[in-house]
Order: sequence, then structure tokens, then C-alpha cells
Amino acid sequence: MINLKGIKKIYANGDIQVAALAGVNLHVGASEFVSIMGPSGSGKSSMMNILGCLDTPTEGEYYLDGTDVAQTSGDQLSVIRNRKIGFIFQGFNLLPRTTAVENVELPMLYAGVGSKERRSRAIAALESVGLGGRVHHRPKELSGGQQQRVAIARALVTNPSIILADEPTGNLDSRSSEEVMAIFQRLHDSGNTIVIVTHEPDIAEYTERIVRFRDGTIEGDEKVTNPRKARVQVSEEGVAK
Amino acid sequence: MNFFESIRISLRALRANKLRSILTMLGMIIGVAAVIAMVGIGNGATASITSQIQSLGSNLLTISSGQSNSGGIRGGAGSSNTITMTDVSKIQIGTAVKAVAPVSSSTGQVVFGSGNTSTSITGTTQDYQVIKNVTMATGRFITEEDVSNSARVAVLGPTVITNLFGDENASVIGKIIKINNVPFQVIGVTTATGSTGFMSSDDMITAPISTVQARLIGKKTVRNILVSATSSEQMQAAEDQITAALHKAHKIADGKSDDFTVQNQADMLETMQSVTETLTLLLGGVAGISLLVGGIGIMNIMLVSVTERTREIGIRKAIGAKGVYIMMQFLIEAVVLSILGGGIGVVLGFGGSTLAGKALKLSTSISLPSVLIAFGFSAAIGIIFGVFPARKAAAMDPIDALRYE
Ligand SMILES: Nc1ncnc2c1ncn2[C@@H]1O[C@H](COP(=O)(O)OP(=O)(O)OP(=O)(O)O)[C@@H](O)[C@H]1O
Ligand SMILES: [Mg+2]
Repeated sequence: MINLKGIKKIYANGDIQVAALAGVNLHVGASEFVSIMGPSGSGKSSMMNILGCLDTPTEGEYYLDGTDVAQTSGDQLSVIRNRKIGFIFQGFNLLPRTTAVENVELPMLYAGVGSKERRSRAIAALESVGLGGRVHHRPKELSGGQQQRVAIARALVTNPSIILADEPTGNLDSRSSEEVMAIFQRLHDSGNTIVIVTHEPDIAEYTERIVRFRDGTIEGDEKVTNPRKARVQVSEEGVAK
Repeated sequence: MNFFESIRISLRALRANKLRSILTMLGMIIGVAAVIAMVGIGNGATASITSQIQSLGSNLLTISSGQSNSGGIRGGAGSSNTITMTDVSKIQIGTAVKAVAPVSSSTGQVVFGSGNTSTSITGTTQDYQVIKNVTMATGRFITEEDVSNSARVAVLGPTVITNLFGDENASVIGKIIKINNVPFQVIGVTTATGSTGFMSSDDMITAPISTVQARLIGKKTVRNILVSATSSEQMQAAEDQITAALHKAHKIADGKSDDFTVQNQADMLETMQSVTETLTLLLGGVAGISLLVGGIGIMNIMLVSVTERTREIGIRKAIGAKGVYIMMQFLIEAVVLSILGGGIGVVLGFGGSTLAGKALKLSTSISLPSVLIAFGFSAAIGIIFGVFPARKAAAMDPIDALRYE
């Protein structure tokens, strides 16, 4: 699924060079649920951006579904992001003046899905994250947790090979965080591959494997023996009954 | 993603910033309206001048004295009196020439009772009526007999009647008026032609040339000889015939310069038309520059818009928009702005030129080509000035764009 070999990311600010990633080797298999932890500045976001094909490594190989995507760029990366990756950001990154369903439709728009199918799949995705009753709300009419669930719906609507989330619960309260983790667990149970970055150990405990970063390298990689189960299930608020 | 979806996204973005979109379009609106109105007014002016010149007479050739080389000094047309009454008889009526009439002119103080006015007096022959398409409201025009008898008879224009008698409907036939103290009997009144100003055919007295020369000018000078060609195709033949006849009469050898000029109505028309066309082009050019300024306004706003929406561009790219989609989105926005502006401009320009036409008493005409050109031009401006901002947007790196605050 994902195979990183000797990935380096070096930022050059004038004469000062910062090695955000100093040679990372990582394998994530299909249907794994992984969390990445580590102190601030240890390179977690840098790595997620590379995993999400938003950025290219300075050095190293990145095999996604068997093909090396480390050295592709531009429009080819756009296509890979569109087809294979569902990315969830800490800051949600929804289009502000656009309704929830239209936000979820967006990746399908660029994939060339017809408008009828787009609409029905987007609504289905929103229903699956418990937002069936908020379809036509704009982001600012939704709570943080709801906005993040719209972002999740947008990430999973194209059936990507892998779902990546950089601190998806970073801006959420504990209840909303648990709802989001419940959705991830359910997606994982149905066979999705998920990688999340988190600062909070109790969030990491929902996953099955924890990878620890320090100074741009992997410091530890352990299985979670007994993952926590999210007890809060997404309430189907607003769904017409 | 198809074209219509791109348009939908662009329209939505434009609607989100209504005021700004309208202000941006204003540049295009004014530019296009100016082009349309200016060209319309220019065309109207050309048409009006053309019809004025044509109303001077049909297929008219005017022979004037002058352009003689005396002592190395080239005189202008009419600077000396080289054409005479004998020249008139040298120009034969035939296949090319329909009518010939000499013209002598003078100005004079005209008095009737307590009324008096100053006007121009044209001395000519009966053929003048044919050449100038003179129609009579009442009475008759001068005849061959009047000319040979040097009869003191006068044909008055309607403006003269009003000025002299105080009433345009006064019965004047048979009345005796005094021109520079010489009594003339009124024999006819011409119909109004509506022409005004200098050389108006309504504010004019026509009398036999022999009488005008003897009584008013005191010299047998001829100002012009007017010749009417049988048709517009025969103009050149008539001109050649006149030139040959006058060469012979004036004993001008081949290669020597003429002491007369033949002016062609068509030449005059051409000159005037080229003047108004240049004017139209000039006005259109100025308006075109304002279109250009409008285009720069669009580019300016599009650049601001791209910067403002950096995050949106980042989001779209992050979820898989190719550069070309982003480019299309912004390019379509620019083109929609310019075409919408152009459309409104066409309507306003149409209204403006119609109003101006009413005010200036011109029949302004909006030609389809000028509308199409204005439209095409505004679309082109949208594309040209939209490409740079759109490419800037398309080239953004998704990571940088997402980090942009
Ligand atoms: N665009 C950039 N230019 C220069 N240096 C950068 C850039 N992005 C990240 N860095 C540097 O790379 C290092 C790793 O940053 P990164 O954002 O990956 O850390 P992180 O683990 O995600 O931290 P946090 O937990 O605070 O989000 C940091 O030292 C940071 O200063
Ligand atoms: Mg980070």
C-alpha cells in the first residue's frame, strides 16, 4: 500500500537548511489504522504532506499502490490526489461559500463524475457521517465537529486507497473528537486504510498502531494491544424520519 | 468537469462579489458604449454630409476660374476670372452633358416697402433649374427670354420671403422689390429645401445672369459654370469633354497647365467622406483606448481575486483539481466580466448614439459589424487580460496555497 524508503525533506531558508525529514522508512499495509505522534516540529506534517502527494520529498522513494510517486509533479500529482487519497486537514479546509453537499461533490467534479451521480454519492457520504440533515448548510452554519465530518465525507466519497488526516481532532472538543474517531473506526472496520497525526495519546489509542517521530526520524513503532472503542456513535441528527 | 460547470463556478464567484464585479465591468461598459456610440455618430455624420452634397445637384460638375500660372504664381481656383460666357456655349449638350448653366453671384440689400434683408443673388440661366433640381412653390423660374432680354425679374427663396415680407405665405408674385436700388419683379418662389447656413438655397434670390452682370456686378464675370452630366457613369466623359472644349477655347497646349478647374461632385463627396471617416476612426480609436483601460481593470481585479482566493485554490488543488481547471475557472471569470460588460456597453452605446443622433439631428446608424467587433474585442480583452492572473492561479503550489493566510 504505502512504502517509504529513505525519505528526506529539506527546507532551505537562505543559507539555513532544515531537515524536516531525515531519512524515513515506513510501511503501511492495506486496511491498517495508524496514528503518528511526536513533539512539535518533529516532521509529522511534512511527512503527511508527502504521503498525501501535496508535496514531494527532497530525496527517497515513495511507493503508493506499487508505483513510485516521489518524483512525479504537477498535474499528475493532482490526479493521484484525486483518485487515491482522501486528505483531512486540522483546519477542515472547506470552501466557505459552498454548501456541505457541494463541498463533498468537489473531488468528483474534478474526477469527471456526472452531476446526478455526484449528488447522490455526496448525500450518501454525508449520511454516513451523520450529516444527512445538514446537506445544504454552509460551513459557517455548522459546528467544528460537523465541519470536520463534512471534510471526512469529502475525503471518503471517491473511495480512495488511503485516508490521511493531519490532526483531525486538533480543533475539536472531546465529544466531537470521539465522534470523528468513531467514524474512522467504522471506516477502518469496512476495510479502509487510515493514517492520522495526533498529539493526544488517548486519540492515538483508538488506532491499532502508533508511529513515533522525533527530529525527522521514526523513533518508535508499536502495535496498540487493545485499541479503545469509540463508544459515542454518530448521532443521526437532523435526518428526516 | 465540463465547460458549463466551469461557467457555473465562475458565475457564483462573481455573484459573491457583486459590487466589485459591477465596478470592474464598468470599465468595459464605458469602453464598449463609447466605441458603439462614437462609430454610430460618425456613420451618421458621414451619411448626413453625403446627402447634403448630393442635394447640391445631381451629377454636378463645377467649372471655376483659376489655377493659372501667372509669373510663377499659381493661383487657387477662382483667383482670376478666366472663364467667360463664351465658354458656356463651347460646352455642347450631348450624350455626356445634360445641361450647362453659368453662375454669377453677388450679395445685395433687398428692400420691399419697410421690409429689408441682405441676401445672395445668383445670376444664371434657365438650365440652372434642371441642374440644381429647383422646384417652384409658386410662379415660374427664369426663362431663356428673360436672359436674352436682361429682364429685371427675380425668383425668391422662401427664407427671403419671410425676411422681406414678414410672412412666408405672403402673395408676392408681381411685386416689385429693390435689390441694391434696382427694381426687380418677383416671378416665382422656390420650395423650401431645408438647407440652412452659408449658401442656403432657401435664402437666395435667382435672377437672369445678364441682368445681374449688367445691373448688380457691373462686369461680365462668370463665377462658375455648372454642368450636369447625363448620369453618374457619364461624369468622367463629361469632364473630359469640358476639359477638351476649354483647352481649345483658351488655346491651352497639351502639357500646359489649365487656367480653370473642373470639380467633380464625386470628388467632393470622396474628400468629405474621407474626412468624416478619419474622424470616425479617431473617435473609435479613443474609445478603443478606454476599452484597453477597461481590460487592464479586469486584469487588476482578477489578480486581486487570485491572491484573495489563494486558500480556495489550495483546497481545490489538494482534492485533485488540475492546473488547467483552475486556469479555466479564472479565465472564464475574466471573460464573463468582459463579455457581460461588453453586452451592457452595446446596449448603452446604442441608446447613447440614438440620443446623440436626436440632439445633433443626425440619423445615427449602428452597424452590425461594429457591434460584433465590440463584442469580439471585449471577449478578446477578457482572455488576454485574464490569462496572466489565471496562469498565476494555476501555477500555485497546493501546500503553499493552503498555508497562505
Ligand atoms: N515551508 C517550510 N519552510 C521551512 N521550514 C519548514 C517548512 N515547513 C516546515 N518546516 C520546518 O520543518 C520542521 C518540521 O515541521 P512540521 O510541520 O513537519 O512539524 P510537525 O511535526 O507537524 O509539528 P506540529 O506538531 O507543530 O504540527 C520544523 O522545524 C519546521 O520549522
Ligand atoms: Mg503539524
